[in-house]
Amino acid sequence: MTLTTDRAALDDWYVVGISADVTPQAPRRTRLLGQDIDVTRGPDGRAVVRMVGGAGDGLLCRSEERYGFVWTTFGTPGRGIFPLDEAAEPDRRLVTCGMVEVAASGLRLVENFLDMAHFPFVHTDILGALDKPEVEQYQAEIRADVDEVWATNCRFWQPLAAATSTGGQTSHYVYRVVTPFNVLLYKTCPEAPERFDAIALFIQPVEADRSIAYPLMVVIDSVNADADIVMFQQKIFLQDRMILENQRPRTLPLDPRAEIPTRADLSSVAYRRWLKTKSLGYGTYEYAGA
Amino acid sequence: MTTVALVLHNHDLLADAYKVRLLLALLGLDYQRATVGILPGDGADEPAYRMLNPAGSVPTLVDGEVVLTRPEAMLVHLAERYDPAGTWLPVDPAVRALVFDWLFFAAGDLGAAEDARLASMLGVAPRRADAFAAARRAFRVLEGHLVGRHLDGQAFFAGDGPTIADVAIFPAVALAADFGLGMEEFPRLLVWARRIHGLAGFVTAPGVREVV
Repeated sequence: MTLTTDRAALDDWYVVGISADVTPQAPRRTRLLGQDIDVTRGPDGRAVVRMVGGAGDGLLCRSEERYGFVWTTFGTPGRGIFPLDEAAEPDRRLVTCGMVEVAASGLRLVENFLDMAHFPFVHTDILGALDKPEVEQYQAEIRADVDEVWATNCRFWQPLAAATSTGGQTSHYVYRVVTPFNVLLYKTCPEAPERFDAIALFIQPVEADRSIAYPLMVVIDSVNADADIVMFQQKIFLQDRMILENQRPRTLPLDPRAEIPTRADLSSVAYRRWLKTKSLGYGTYEYAGA
Repeated sequence: MTTVALVLHNHDLLADAYKVRLLLALLGLDYQRATVGILPGDGADEPAYRMLNPAGSVPTLVDGEVVLTRPEAMLVHLAERYDPAGTWLPVDPAVRALVFDWLFFAAGDLGAAEDARLASMLGVAPRRADAFAAARRAFRVLEGHLVGRHLDGQAFFAGDGPTIADVAIFPAVALAADFGLGMEEFPRLLVWARRIHGLAGFVTAPGVREVV
């Protein structure tokens, strides 16, 4: 594997490890955008990311720690790591929920995260119920001022919306794609219905069709142990994983002729259009049916 | 539901824990669940948990005075204690011996499937070399046995109906897609898995399809 030359992919920030797991004693060997890297901690306690092998062997990469994760970039991102204001609210718990490897493009993972239509079928009796499959009308837009994709006014009936749930609720969702490989959502918090829980999915694109997903919960939850919050999120994500690994092609087609969207796919249409404007090729599928 | 003082120290993602939850559900037993903080986390290394289960394996089943740390032993215990009719662990010596044979297979060779699965999903270092190939070999043994059973007019691993042998084997089979083992090689296993899905009280686990 060699490092991609895709400029749009290089010029961005990516999660490459969970801060708490990165210690000088346990350096993490992993791969980002086709390039092997070591993630470790220097004598001053700061995270260090270094390329291993290839033309850049031994090169130090820019790195930062934010929201419980180690982030790095190989290029020159146009902006810093995106803001996530909820992470600073004192009554919220910030729970990193491990990592899951998926044999699919990271862009597929983001698109799955944006999709509500699969809830009843993939997360049966948790995030959706088989007798209530309808996706009500919602809005999706590319917000040019912040360069993000948003989907708003999303509503879905959920039997067990979160680890804190004691019964069903109509969850209100707002989705926010902050970079091509990082996405988050805000949804009705069962414990504080006037506020929103934030759930993020940060993706490390290992290769064009392989990813590591890191879910992050920024929630108001005074009841559950971390272990239960983590397990709830891991369960949900592993249900997604079996669908994701069966999607073909494993990379994401951006050509509007490649697949036929329905009204429920509005957010996916906006996302794909946004990716095209960025000229991102990494993790996308070259449609040959033109 | 019968009310009993059963506690399962559980993690929803483990095939070994799913075996036990599945039998508890099939028997209609009520129980408490305590989540062990692993995958990620070192909850299995906490002193309180090690007091209960010195090897630090998950799950652990506590039934009053009885504390069990091996899922197949839990299945035997639950069947003997809560299924006096002997449906799940028949009293007939020949059938009973066959059930035990498959329980040991589930605890032994078939463990490769969970190794391959946890490595593929979560990057957990496998306990054996080439777990995928070992899992595939174990699946061929299962398929071969079911073909023979089918020719004898039988649908389950031992005896005339489902037993705890089927319960012990089901999770590995149902979760095979998690590590990319295609079921097209194992048609009898697929048919058998559908029968398990159809049992009264059947429950799924993450990664196990609700609808087949």
